[in-house]
Amino acid sequence: MCNLNHQTKTKDSMRITKDMKMADVIQMNYMLIPVIYRFGINLGFGDQTVKEICAETSVDLNFFLQLVNTYHDKDYFPKEELQSIPSKDIVTYLKMTHSSYLNEKLSEIENLIEALQHTEKEDEKYILLIRNFYEGYKNELTEHIMHEEEVVFPYVLAVEEICKEGVISDKNRKIYDSFSILKYQDAHDDVEEKLMDLKTIMIKYLTPPLNTSLYHKIIQLLFMLEQDLSYHSRIEDKVLLPKMIAMEKIISELN
Amino acid sequence: MNNITIVVADASYLIQKGLGAILKKLGDNQLIQKMDKAEGLIENLNSLKPNILILNPDFFDDDFELVIKECAKLDNCKLVILSNNKSDEAKYVADAFLHYNDDQSKIFSCLESLKDELIKTGKNEKSDEPISAREKNILKHIALGLTNKEIADQLFISIHTVVTHRKNITQKLGIKSVSGLTVYAILNNLIAMDEVK
Repeated sequence: MCNLNHQTKTKDSMRITKDMKMADVIQMNYMLIPVIYRFGINLGFGDQTVKEICAETSVDLNFFLQLVNTYHDKDYFPKEELQSIPSKDIVTYLKMTHSSYLNEKLSEIENLIEALQHTEKEDEKYILLIRNFYEGYKNELTEHIMHEEEVVFPYVLAVEEICKEGVISDKNRKIYDSFSILKYQDAHDDVEEKLMDLKTIMIKYLTPPLNTSLYHKIIQLLFMLEQDLSYHSRIEDKVLLPKMIAMEKIISELN
Repeated sequence: MNNITIVVADASYLIQKGLGAILKKLGDNQLIQKMDKAEGLIENLNSLKPNILILNPDFFDDDFELVIKECAKLDNCKLVILSNNKSDEAKYVADAFLHYNDDQSKIFSCLESLKDELIKTGKNEKSDEPISAREKNILKHIALGLTNKEIADQLFISIHTVVTHRKNITQKLGIKSVSGLTVYAILNNLIAMDEVK
């Protein structure tokens, strides 16, 4: 018994390497299924290794390993190595996560809250409160994501191009002058706050409705969303942001 | 105590990691900072605001006495000396001592008693109290969508007082956003649903 316990523990924090079978990676941590999917990797990989699958789907192996390990072990955060990844690749990945929030996760939770509302006649009023609150949160997060997609990411790509080429084209000049990464800092806090409040209200203050299994599922999904978002913003704040600050400095010396 | 910040400074990766794992078992609401370089610790003490500081004297060459002095100046901070050398206990003054070969129960009882002391002295502890009648009234006004200034005017109190009440309400309820507070107010019948703008 003792031995078994020990074994699972070591497995939990085992680092994911290029020669592991992708199937074993998922057996080890099923939370990685949506993460690898964002790289365009889908299930059904037979006995192929991480390295083989990355080569096949033209995913940068180094970036893939750094990223899945970051998700897998919350103490692991190879800041320097992640910062060496081209911004273009990071942005592509972040965009994939955005689309998974917008197209799947957010509406999944919304549908469940709606379903809850329909099954509960008596507590309907309270569920409506939760629903409205969630709508507010969803809109805020969507707005935040759209801002990143429309303003921040194009800026990041322009800055990287300027740095690479050493000259500023007219098109990039326009983007460069319209924004600065300093404006981007602290933007995450408000959105996170709402999600935490929603969880707190459901856990501490709301009398649970009769359909407990649905209610529990919603809370669990909120926790998962929160965790996913925190990994996502960790990459934005700790990897992309410092990269941009350094590049802005280089460009200001170019001028 | 809402959050306990623990700073661990030891050159050994093994010790750092191991101690980090042990500290995690003490509870969830704590922030653990690990340092593997001695430089910068003194300068950063004020911004780190540690509640428990676990230091290895070997880590600091000659300036360890200085580090101890700086620690004594901090509010609500317990100093733990971690070492492989029993004689350190006689050499330095600290709130507690840990040795490399202490067993599990010794380490836990040492850290838990420090934590209890911190909780006793922490005067800002409000999270378990229910909100007062006064705070309920303020909360009602927040939920109705009034600004701090408007609340202050209506209740004949200063804006500063409103802000303080707001802080306490948020701390006690664990809800930060206005829309979250509004939901709470409705659930507790402080306002009716149709009053919300």
